[in-house]
Amino acid sequence: MIDRLEAARALDDIENITRRVRQSQIYRLSSLLMILWGALVVLGNLVTYLTPIYADKAWLSVYVLGIAGSVVLGATEKARWGMGSFDVRSLLAFVMFFAFGFFVERIGHFGPREMGAFWPIYFMLFYCLAGLWFGIAFTIFGLSVIALTLIGYVFIGAAFPLWMAVVNGVGLILGGLWMRRS
Amino acid sequence: MAELDEIIHQPLRLRIMAALNALPAGTGLEFVRLKKLTGATDGNLGAHIETLARAGYVTVDKAFVGKKPQTTVTLAAPGRAAFVRHVAGLQEIIAGAAVKPSDP
Repeated sequence: MIDRLEAARALDDIENITRRVRQSQIYRLSSLLMILWGALVVLGNLVTYLTPIYADKAWLSVYVLGIAGSVVLGATEKARWGMGSFDVRSLLAFVMFFAFGFFVERIGHFGPREMGAFWPIYFMLFYCLAGLWFGIAFTIFGLSVIALTLIGYVFIGAAFPLWMAVVNGVGLILGGLWMRRS
Repeated sequence: MAELDEIIHQPLRLRIMAALNALPAGTGLEFVRLKKLTGATDGNLGAHIETLARAGYVTVDKAFVGKKPQTTVTLAAPGRAAFVRHVAGLQEIIAGAAVKPSDP
């Protein structure tokens, strides 16, 4: 015979493992998105550093390719795992995210250096918030990139885009690979 | 009165079944992923997967990805049904009914 305590323990075990499986699916999709955005951010920063006159076009391309790639990855993972990973709401969330960012950028009259710091910090704010629901890994990663971005903004001179290519771009790629193993 | 499934009731097998049940039908988990999720050792996990496979609750596919062997475990339809019954049995116990594990 099995008593209530043992049954409750078994149900807790089931709930716990189900939550971990779902978390691992979220980590998996997030890791792919981070690697994609990381590679694009590296390219954006390199173009900004090497040929500043093309910086605007480069970043516009980064955003368009990033959103398109995110939609494709989300749809692929949804088909594979049956998880509600990307839909119209997610696309609208992206649009609102960038619209708010551009709004702040305009009313703040940000120069290239400020924009170079603002976007990663703004991006990472959502990683920090995501950590409250989906696992501490997101928050740790977000806070680390924010801290390194601020260090670069204050202490690194003309090579700031290169610093950001490493901190934000390579950071996203490494973070994605780490999250894949989590 | 719902019955508990003695095969599923073993703690590690319960965790394996719960992990597989969280996925859509036909989707499996790689052995290494399952090992990480359940916190089991290689030998222990392998033995319990074999027990579940013998009962027809899971299917095991072995393939090579590059040069590395990869084992994927998927919940079979009878396994999903048995798991649902088992969970219903556990919930009945919580609700107050006494339930005896069924023989394998």
